[in-house]
Amino acid sequence: MMEILRQACLVLRKDLRLEMRRRESLLTMFFFGVLLLFVFHFSFDLTPENVVALAPALLWLAFLFTGTLGLAQLFQAERENRCLDALLLSPLDPGALFLAKVFFNLVLMVLVELVVLPLFWILFNLRSWSPLPSLLAAVFLGTIGFCVLGTLMSAITSRARARELLLPLLLFPLMVPVILATIRCMEAVFRTGGLDDAAAWLRLLFGFDVIFLTLGILIFDWVIEN
Amino acid sequence: MSIGCHLNRRARVTIVQQLADVVAENSFCAPGDRQLRVAVRQLSKAYGVLWALKDIDFEITGGECVALLGPNGAGKSTLLKLLAGLTRPTRGTIELDGSQVGRGGESDKSRIGLLVPGEHLYDDLTARENLRFFTALYKKNNTEPKIDRALAEVGLAARSDEYVAAFSSGMKCRLSIAKWNLLDPELLLLDEPYSVLDREGVDFLEQSLARRCQRGSIVMMASHHVARAIKICSRALVLRQGKLIFDEPRRHPWESFDRLFGEFRPRGE
Repeated sequence: MMEILRQACLVLRKDLRLEMRRRESLLTMFFFGVLLLFVFHFSFDLTPENVVALAPALLWLAFLFTGTLGLAQLFQAERENRCLDALLLSPLDPGALFLAKVFFNLVLMVLVELVVLPLFWILFNLRSWSPLPSLLAAVFLGTIGFCVLGTLMSAITSRARARELLLPLLLFPLMVPVILATIRCMEAVFRTGGLDDAAAWLRLLFGFDVIFLTLGILIFDWVIEN
Repeated sequence: MSIGCHLNRRARVTIVQQLADVVAENSFCAPGDRQLRVAVRQLSKAYGVLWALKDIDFEITGGECVALLGPNGAGKSTLLKLLAGLTRPTRGTIELDGSQVGRGGESDKSRIGLLVPGEHLYDDLTARENLRFFTALYKKNNTEPKIDRALAEVGLAARSDEYVAAFSSGMKCRLSIAKWNLLDPELLLLDEPYSVLDREGVDFLEQSLARRCQRGSIVMMASHHVARAIKICSRALVLRQGKLIFDEPRRHPWESFDRLFGEFRPRGE
């Protein structure tokens, strides 16, 4: 396990270095996320009465769409110069490659969320900032689920010609449990200011994350080959 | 600076030729030494209904440098990919010292290398960063001086901190040579290495391959530069339409190869 973590750290460090140089994924995700917030801002009038119903869905939609943009680029560096073959040829454990890609995508998503969430608060003039930490916790668990499943789907579609089209078509139906659980958790936060009412949904999110992370590590060899 | 850089071209060519002759005599492993062995049995690969390779059988032992020849579409690259474990055979087995090669196989992946010019390098990393990344991945204890030496040996010392994206195809191929010199696999497969190299680059490559075989490793090189490949190799395998039609060690004179050679020899050779 320590060897898998060592290898995952190596690949993650390489991916972060490439992203710092290219800034393709992060900038695209950031600007798209902000753009979506402005579109929502002009389209919906959020009042204290409808904030519980609308805000979670709008926020999660923004994260889902920006995250999908990042996923489409996830294996871009490996596609160029057939670097994926170089990794498969090496003693790198496929599980380590999966872990590295999940963490890389998670870093990008969290950076975007740290900008988008406060901006959402300001744009929609939400009064109290106190639910923000609980909301971040719920969103973080949902984001892990999104990154885990998204990385698997991104690997499956990475060699397909119409991968940008195929990725959301495969990913979104499978994401339903994560979307549902995260939105219910966020609703509880907007309603009560905490996560006490959403314990069952939190357990579902946590279980989903653990199961798919384990499954991903175990089956990534097969996924990448086929 | 490497020794190779201090020698003039004629001296380097002579050294390569002498080393190649030693390779041809195939006398590197002292009796009783463990000898590396690659065994390919009934190897077949189909893409849909098309058989890229069919019932290939051969064995290679340590110290051999094998030229893999044949016309376009003969199955050379497919065979190299199968030997590298990048794709699964439809039928048959490949063994490296008795261990199954390929995905799900038990052989140590770090023992096999595949050099494809211009591929398997990250464009947005520098030459040095590429070497650092891959050596760390292969758990090679390569210190910076070793990386410096490897880069100097292929004439890239002055460009080590430049991005690979700015490199020409030939320079990328030189960097790949440096990479595999550092990773030092026991079985090195090369796919058309001559296609992008200049004369100096070819000398670097041939010196590296000759040294490798002298140490008891196996080299297999697919190439359309028949005369050049044969010059440094100790044995030739010829594929045609996915079938192995020729497998002989090099000798002087070599009438059987010359009869076949005419058929595949590109214009000008």
